[in-house]
Amino acid sequence: MRGRWAELIGGPFRASWRAGLGWSIALVVLIVSTVAFWPAFRGASGITQAIDQLPAPLLGAFGLEGFGTPAGYLRGGLYELLIPLVFAAAGVLFANGATAGEEDVGRLELFVSQPVSRVAFFAGRSVAVFAWLAVLTLVALAAQLASDQIFGVPIDTGRVVATVVLCGLLGAVVAGLCLAVAGLAARPQLVQSVGFSVAYISYLILALFPLSSLLAPWREIAPWGWALGGDPLVNGAEVWRYLLLGGPAVLLAVLGALAFERRDIRSA
Amino acid sequence: MDLKASRADAPSDGPAICIEGLVKDYGAVHAVQGINLDVSRGEVFGFLGPNGAGKTTTIRCLLDLLRPTAGRLEVLGLDPRRDSLALRSRVAYMPGELRLPERMTGAGLVAAVGRLRGGFDTRRRDSLAERLDLDLSRRLRELSSGNRRKVALLLAFLADAELLVLDEPTNGLDPLMQREFLALVREAKERGTTIFLSSHVLSEVQRAADHVAVLRQGTLVAVGGVDELRRRARQRIEVWFDGPAPTQELAALPDLVNQHTEDQRFTALLAGSIEPLLAVLARQHVVSLLVEEPDLEEAFLDLYEAAS
Repeated sequence: MRGRWAELIGGPFRASWRAGLGWSIALVVLIVSTVAFWPAFRGASGITQAIDQLPAPLLGAFGLEGFGTPAGYLRGGLYELLIPLVFAAAGVLFANGATAGEEDVGRLELFVSQPVSRVAFFAGRSVAVFAWLAVLTLVALAAQLASDQIFGVPIDTGRVVATVVLCGLLGAVVAGLCLAVAGLAARPQLVQSVGFSVAYISYLILALFPLSSLLAPWREIAPWGWALGGDPLVNGAEVWRYLLLGGPAVLLAVLGALAFERRDIRSA
Repeated sequence: MDLKASRADAPSDGPAICIEGLVKDYGAVHAVQGINLDVSRGEVFGFLGPNGAGKTTTIRCLLDLLRPTAGRLEVLGLDPRRDSLALRSRVAYMPGELRLPERMTGAGLVAAVGRLRGGFDTRRRDSLAERLDLDLSRRLRELSSGNRRKVALLLAFLADAELLVLDEPTNGLDPLMQREFLALVREAKERGTTIFLSSHVLSEVQRAADHVAVLRQGTLVAVGGVDELRRRARQRIEVWFDGPAPTQELAALPDLVNQHTEDQRFTALLAGSIEPLLAVLARQHVVSLLVEEPDLEEAFLDLYEAAS
């Protein structure tokens, strides 16, 4: 039984190692290259003053508030958009690749016809997807903490950990949504469209709703807001944010597995 | 047309496969339209039909990869949906459209499937690989389509299952390997394995199968033994007379079609009993009589023509 589960999870996990390596390199390059410029910004008060003179709503929309501070610099340069976007994209592509993408080209048929339940099969793939997002979270965290040390960014480690973990969980909830769609239908384009649309719209909600006094109270209604709406680099994160992201991620994957159990498997 | 095979020799523990009124629709497309079929345990059953006839759809319903629109299925006495896990541990399946993970090696794929099936006998794996002339150390993307099919065949025969479901198993195999495949089928049958073999290569089914079913546009047009099916097909008749052929008498015979006379030579297709023809010939001076037994291909084409 252990061997079976090792294959159900380990098989798709190993199959994604190239993608995992690629995302890891992207994260490390992004983080190190951004943090490397911190010493230049720290000393260039002119740039930060110029940024501070932008209208407050624009500063908020682009995450540029307090750009001269370590937390503001990391938020504006990495954690407002780029890092969560990488995690969301990785979540979409890992989930799609492990399920609908493989099924669409007929590669699941041989494995689904083996003595494993469909729910177990789908669950194994879901765990592999979440495991890769966990690996990316650790890679990003290591790169961030090391870069902070190397380039002298004075920032609270706990808040950095909270921010990176929340980005990873944002990727997980987007991946969970993709797994749910893939469980319903083996349509990779649909899975990707839904995943990227939800990620993009939820970013827009967090970034642009504050520009309207009417919409501002609703800025945290979407996953991007659950993850980063509380400005974790400055304030840390409440427990409910982790739960609000992790819970639906798992729930959506379970729904995907149940839907996968009830439908036809696509052949090549 | 709705036919159901009946087997006097069916063992008491029931058929290996029992299909009753199977219907599978894809929206407006009726892929399988109410077929009934029994396959006895321990036999090699050929499932014939051209592409698009509904063979693969039927097979995928048997393996619970597709959910039937209507009908009842039983495989090895189990419901493919309700007992899918128990059933899959007793069945090995080779898909017709092979899409294997390209970056894996053959050995890696065998190991992966082995872990899902609770382990494979490595000596038997090596023996099968040798018989199939297969290098398992190569990546699957580096293999020809024929060699990939050999990997799938190896997986199917390695599973030591009670029922082997093989969908177009010899597509892309060279004649030597087709012969080896037939040897593997015979050995599996000797071990008591039931083999459900879908194919449009009639010669292969003719050599391997005990019984066949012919599928056309989602319906069964014939079920029976290979010999029985051949008997039902039209036989080609050629008669040489010691003088002009008795065309008027021959024309009056009801089961003799496509009659053609050329001086002393008479040819036709016999679609029924030969007795009336022999009665006519007995009154003539016949130099030679040739009755060609149709092969399964002719039987198959005849059945198709009759059905359409």
